[in-house]
Amino acid sequence: MTVQIKGRPEAIAIQWIPKYTFVERLGHWLHTATFIPLAVTGMALYFPFLQPLAQGEAGLFLRMVHRIAAVIFGLLPIVYYVLQPRRFIMHTREFLPRKEDIGWLKAAPAYYLLGKHEAMPPQGRFNAGEKMNGLVMIVTWVAFGLTGIPMWFGKGVIPPELFRWLVIFHDLAMIVAVGMFLVHLYLAVAHPLMWAGLVSMRFGVISAEYAAEHHAKWYYGPQRAMEIWEAKKQEAAQH
Amino acid sequence: MNDEKSPETKMNRREFLGLSALGLGISLAGARPAAAARLPAPDDVAILYDPVKCVGCRACQMACKRWNKLPNESTDPLRIYESPRGLSAITWNIIKLCRTEVGWHFFNYQCMHCTDAACVAVCPTGALSYDPMGFVSLDRNKCNGCGYCTQFCPYGVPHLQVANPLTGAAKSAKCTFCQDRIWAGIGGPSCAEICPVSALTWGKRGELLEKARARVTELRAKGMNARIYGETEAGGLHRLSILLDEPEQYGLPSVPKTPGLARAWQRVIQPLGTGVFGAILLGILGAFLFVRRKIRMEEVR
Ligand code: HEM
Ligand code: SF4
Repeated sequence: MTVQIKGRPEAIAIQWIPKYTFVERLGHWLHTATFIPLAVTGMALYFPFLQPLAQGEAGLFLRMVHRIAAVIFGLLPIVYYVLQPRRFIMHTREFLPRKEDIGWLKAAPAYYLLGKHEAMPPQGRFNAGEKMNGLVMIVTWVAFGLTGIPMWFGKGVIPPELFRWLVIFHDLAMIVAVGMFLVHLYLAVAHPLMWAGLVSMRFGVISAEYAAEHHAKWYYGPQRAMEIWEAKKQEAAQH
Repeated sequence: MNDEKSPETKMNRREFLGLSALGLGISLAGARPAAAARLPAPDDVAILYDPVKCVGCRACQMACKRWNKLPNESTDPLRIYESPRGLSAITWNIIKLCRTEVGWHFFNYQCMHCTDAACVAVCPTGALSYDPMGFVSLDRNKCNGCGYCTQFCPYGVPHLQVANPLTGAAKSAKCTFCQDRIWAGIGGPSCAEICPVSALTWGKRGELLEKARARVTELRAKGMNARIYGETEAGGLHRLSILLDEPEQYGLPSVPKTPGLARAWQRVIQPLGTGVFGAILLGILGAFLFVRRKIRMEEVR
């Protein structure tokens, strides 16, 4: 693709490389479109100051929305697995934490707050923060299902003592998931370094230049990425 | 998860609230008052049950159904008699036969009208609330059918009247101390008013307690191991009972435990959410303002 900028005679060529399949993007946005209503309708029961929303017919309606959204929310990963099992497994594997993720943690303040690209060691297709987001969403998906389904059908079937713990764990999962979601939302829509994320989630592609800069381990391969990074560091040290 | 922890959490929450007073509306969430804000007053209304006087006629069970217009829960093929196994959404008062170690008794089950009621603590709508006269009232218009009360009550009292198990459309149901009779000044709870042998009586809690104490002394003099149940349980019940054996023999918990877990939820888990979201939102706001000055989009690749 080429972009013509006003006042500049030459066109800038952007080379795009694929990052997400159509199923993945649709899945991501359906996940968003069910997660937000789930969080909002759930919180009406959770936060005392939302009590007026939870009362009577309105509350009944919110609880029904929670259940409808929960069905879709619950099925999404399963549909993804059925349609694209290899992508599903590849993705899930990528989210697993590794030792070198500590490097991301150390560099994160300089990278995210000061915009110092060079402070960040080479990252894979997902940087360690994005991996964490993915992992949290997977773990809490399981937790929501394991607690939510018995909360739905279990009253009078499971022991009340268990039900009480389930509500507490459903709430804990909510706190973790919504907390992660807020950070994710900020980074995705408002953080200048992360501009490429929304583009990839909308169109499925990422610019090659951005990938080389921010996801070097994926773009160059782990070994080459490290070499380039070391070289850059040395060069910077000489100056 | 226990009570010792809550003051500390509260402190943190309060400190945090000060910080986020900036205008994060979410901080309003910490405003739910502590579960049992009061002690049972001698002037509260209450019911006293004396199983030694009870003859098991079940007039109370019938009067409850009649006043509250509850349908028949028939258990015989001709649909004439009913002998439900326990409390349900359409049976709010029931006489059961209990075999305690000292022999057979009747025992009347209904809502205990706790002073520190788990159902009120967990109700997200305020449908269950403390009446100024002490009993626990239920406003079915506010109820959304979530059913938490049915799972947290240590006595298993409230039941859901389920309209649709899939969508969860339901309404909670339990003894309301005949709140409509009391409010309208018609009289006391219909069960206590009808009892022909005064096994169930109602009145001021302080006076009933005195009466119960005198009765316990009397029964003990006759060699029975009598005791009062409900003076302190769950903050003090508004349905007092005389027992002749351990509470467990009557299917009653000797230490109604649930409020601990309900309180953990209200006082730890809910403020935790407020604190976590507040801190994250503040952090994001800070990062947003900071990054806006530090990172120029023009330099970003
Ligand atoms: C598999 C997905 C899920 C299922 C099956 C599920 C099911 C339920 C059920 C049955 C309830 C009890 C209320 C009722 O009976 O109507 C509930 C409450 C709740 N849910 Fe979910 N849910 C799911 C996902 C989520 C998600 C993704 C969130 C938030 C991000 C969430 C947040 C909540 C909250 C905050 C409550 C209220 C708990 C309280 O009262 O403290 N749920 N959920
Ligand atoms: S006995 Fe159960 S329903 Fe009655 S006030 Fe106590 S907690 Fe609520």
